[in-house]
Amino acid sequence: MARDHWASPPRWATLLMEARLPSELAEAMAGDLEEEYRNRVLPARGKARADLWYWGQALGLRAGALRRISGRLGAMRPTFERNRPRRVGSRQTDFWSRMPMRLDDLKYAARRLIKSPGFTLVAVLSLALGIGANTAMFSIVNAVLLRRLPLAHPEQLVEVYTSEDNGYPASTSSYPDFADLRDHNDIFSGVVGERTEIARVDRDGEPSVVFGELVSWDFFRVLGVPMALGRSFLPEEGATPMTHPVVVLGYRMWVKEYGQDPGIVGKTVRLSGRAFTVVGVAPKAFTGTFPVLVTSFYAPMMMSAAFMDSEGQELEQRNSRSMFLKARLKPGVTVAQANAALKAFSAGLAERYPDSNKKRIMSAVSTEDVSIHPLVDKAALPVAGLLLTVVGLVLLIACVNLASFLLARAEDRRREIAVRLALGAGRGALVRQLLVETVVLSLLGGLAGIGLARWTLDLLMGFKPPIPVPIELDVSVDGHVLLFTLGVSLLAGLLFGLVPALQATNPDVAPTLKDEAGRAGKPGRFNLRSTLVVTQVAFSFVLLIGAGLFVRSLQKAQTIDPGFYTGPAAMVMPMMELSDYKTDDQIREYYRTLKERLLADPDIDQVAIADRLPLGMSIRLSSFILPEVPSDRPDGDWEIDAVNVTPGYFETMEVPVVEGHAFTEADVYGEAKIMVSQAFVQRFYPGQDVVGRTIQDGDGRPLRIVGVARDTKVRTLGEAPRPYVYRLQGRTSIAGMMEFIVRGRASAPKLLADARRVVNEVDPDVPLFDAKTMNEHLSLMLFAPRMAALLLSVFGALALALAGVGIYGVVSYAVSRRTRELGIRMSLGASASDVVTMAVKGGMRLVVIGGLIGVVLAGGVTWSISRWLYGIGSTDVATFVAIPLLLSGVALLAAFVPARRASKVDPVRALRSE
Amino acid sequence: MGKRPQLGDLEELALLAVLRLGGSAYGGRIREVLRDDAGRPVSISTIYVTLMRLEEKGMVRSWMGEPTGERGGKARRYFEVRPEGVEAVEAVRDVRDRMWEGVRAAEGGGHGS
Repeated sequence: MARDHWASPPRWATLLMEARLPSELAEAMAGDLEEEYRNRVLPARGKARADLWYWGQALGLRAGALRRISGRLGAMRPTFERNRPRRVGSRQTDFWSRMPMRLDDLKYAARRLIKSPGFTLVAVLSLALGIGANTAMFSIVNAVLLRRLPLAHPEQLVEVYTSEDNGYPASTSSYPDFADLRDHNDIFSGVVGERTEIARVDRDGEPSVVFGELVSWDFFRVLGVPMALGRSFLPEEGATPMTHPVVVLGYRMWVKEYGQDPGIVGKTVRLSGRAFTVVGVAPKAFTGTFPVLVTSFYAPMMMSAAFMDSEGQELEQRNSRSMFLKARLKPGVTVAQANAALKAFSAGLAERYPDSNKKRIMSAVSTEDVSIHPLVDKAALPVAGLLLTVVGLVLLIACVNLASFLLARAEDRRREIAVRLALGAGRGALVRQLLVETVVLSLLGGLAGIGLARWTLDLLMGFKPPIPVPIELDVSVDGHVLLFTLGVSLLAGLLFGLVPALQATNPDVAPTLKDEAGRAGKPGRFNLRSTLVVTQVAFSFVLLIGAGLFVRSLQKAQTIDPGFYTGPAAMVMPMMELSDYKTDDQIREYYRTLKERLLADPDIDQVAIADRLPLGMSIRLSSFILPEVPSDRPDGDWEIDAVNVTPGYFETMEVPVVEGHAFTEADVYGEAKIMVSQAFVQRFYPGQDVVGRTIQDGDGRPLRIVGVARDTKVRTLGEAPRPYVYRLQGRTSIAGMMEFIVRGRASAPKLLADARRVVNEVDPDVPLFDAKTMNEHLSLMLFAPRMAALLLSVFGALALALAGVGIYGVVSYAVSRRTRELGIRMSLGASASDVVTMAVKGGMRLVVIGGLIGVVLAGGVTWSISRWLYGIGSTDVATFVAIPLLLSGVALLAAFVPARRASKVDPVRALRSE
Repeated sequence: MGKRPQLGDLEELALLAVLRLGGSAYGGRIREVLRDDAGRPVSISTIYVTLMRLEEKGMVRSWMGEPTGERGGKARRYFEVRPEGVEAVEAVRDVRDRMWEGVRAAEGGGHGS
């Protein structure tokens, strides 16, 4: 070996040479030089000067000239291919293109992978799991945060926001401000505005609620969105209020509701009771301004009075801000210049309209930098980060498995590689060959991973959050996702193939490896594979702890008592804005009739009415003045969660009244009355009697407290008791929409069907915004924890399985290396169980080390998820006890199986083995 | 045939070396022959550029042989002269012969041997 090293030219010079030369010449030329080095230069000049000569040759290569000519030759090469003399067994290394890997490497890799199908299958499968999980998660993140609408020249587009007077910069704008900006600026070639809207669609007598956008007339033109059918809006359709009832349909609406009717243009659709003429259909790729939400129709902003009973005031009021603006920069104008101009423009507005525009500053953000909205983006990023971290860990574990397999294989090829190295084969070429094999594996894994991701996503998309607005997430595999998967696969293959390849071809470890055969498994001996298993165990541990915490959190969340009735019940919410009932009297009369008719239904016993239910999606704060307890806000008022209810609410919802009395029908008359929660008393009047006390609403009107109700959960299940105010609904103005909660002897679905039917009977033209059972309502709160627990459990189980495979591999390898030793032990009288114990111990030692590292890691990172946990801390003892037990169990099994095999060894055969 | 590509003198020597070496012509040996027998020491890059230019002109062809231990397990690229190559060197030789005949005639055959 030493002599051989002496006779070899400097390895780095060879690597350098091989890197610089066109691949089809590298071998021949390096070989020629090496031959000359060995046969002529070395004997004549000695090692040092010979090395110097060799370096000179390597550095003096005319690589450029060689590349040029071999490139030319490569182009014409195929014509010579046929008449090239062939020799028996000659290696066909002529690969005349300049690909980074050689075709024969590829063929060789393929041959080797086919030769050991078991290894290939396991490796590809574990990579597919890792890459698939990553692709799936990335697809979701991509769909929500990364995908951009197909707008023309998006780099010229900016989002324009108006600040709130409290300084929050990215809020909505008013129509008059928008119109002024559009007409008086020299930085934008176009400014468009959009406002979201819900509308009732009347089709075949069954009203449904859809989500739409009201847009300025040139919305599609400025954004550069061509219509799939028909035309977009005309200038006159954006000029005068309520004169042009025209509509552009969303593609999905056109497909779903109108069966892709090619003659839809010119037809009439009824939106919120008014006839609109369809002028066009938006293209398929343009799903609306906001991802996740699917826009069903686009109508001119001028038609806004048709949807809400606003009589178009919003088109004139500067303090009615509901529009999102986009603008296209004139050529050469930068975002910074736009911002400067917007600032000046806002100052002008503030001067002319101080009442509405004081402290309101418009600003521009490049559209390419915004996913949904700056505020939403900020909240979504940590979730996306968590998800990608989790799947990243899974991939890491899968890759570690791959590296471990490869190391084992390298062991098997030790002889072959040693022989090739001894013959002087370039290490670069060997490493390349091994890497090609890994990359082929990881690309196969990536391919299978995409399939797996598709399947997973289909499954995941089945879990829609129970909210009334139609949502749709387009998670199809697009260029981004493909690029991501390709990148991840290549990186996995190269990164985790490189170390084993280097280790396998390192000539210096050859003797070590040989030595190890005799010593493997001895205490204190720690090889690379063991390190990998420790890593795996540690990472799996972290993932499992995370999964355990989310599962425990879900359990806790399910057992949390929300403080109100959660048995069979249904709730319906008629949409009065979209009905023909306009005045308070009309609406009150409708509600009264509806309640009566609901109670007349044989299945329904109780009806409660509230403008919202606790644990819904929305938060409503109302302003209250507590004379004895001023806040530090400028007006001295408090913002407190509040709800409007009718008499009977506390009985139906089973919220006990602990002091005073619940609202009665008599309370509707006389002075305004409220009830408060226990937490309200605790917070503002601790130890005092509040019944009979009078506080004021934000406008200073007196409100008399008639009772104290037991605390219920208000916003989230995990929250601490929260001050809550119940206002009596009915005497003063009617809030727009009310939930009708019905209870009875029937099952919840039956109650829901009954309630729907009654609403339809009372007036078929009133659409329902929301209709659901109590369970569905509560599941909204549990949706996020449930998804988190589900996802993390799946990934945790995946990690556990992968780590199990890793442990199995290491133990079974150690056992196979020690067959001879075990044979001797057994022939000397060791029992089978001694041998099993010994082998299992070897494996478990790694698990213990990995587990300890995992505990430390997990303890260090789980605080980052504590904000998403219900009712448990991030160092939940049960989790930190249960998970190690689970992991140890799986590890024991993984170690035991191969260890048992060792005990079945026939001592005589074992002694004969190698 | 009159439009045969021009043959540089190094190309001529390389063709001759390949012809001399018969079936065992490869870069290193060709370079040795040029250095030792033709007195033309050239770098390894030059040799390969020349040989590949000849291959481009269709005068030689090459193929990879078996890896050998004495050169670190690397295979040799063998070269062989195609009929076009033989024609080309012979044409050069014809030209030279004709020229030399002219020279001998002028000298009265004084230096002939």
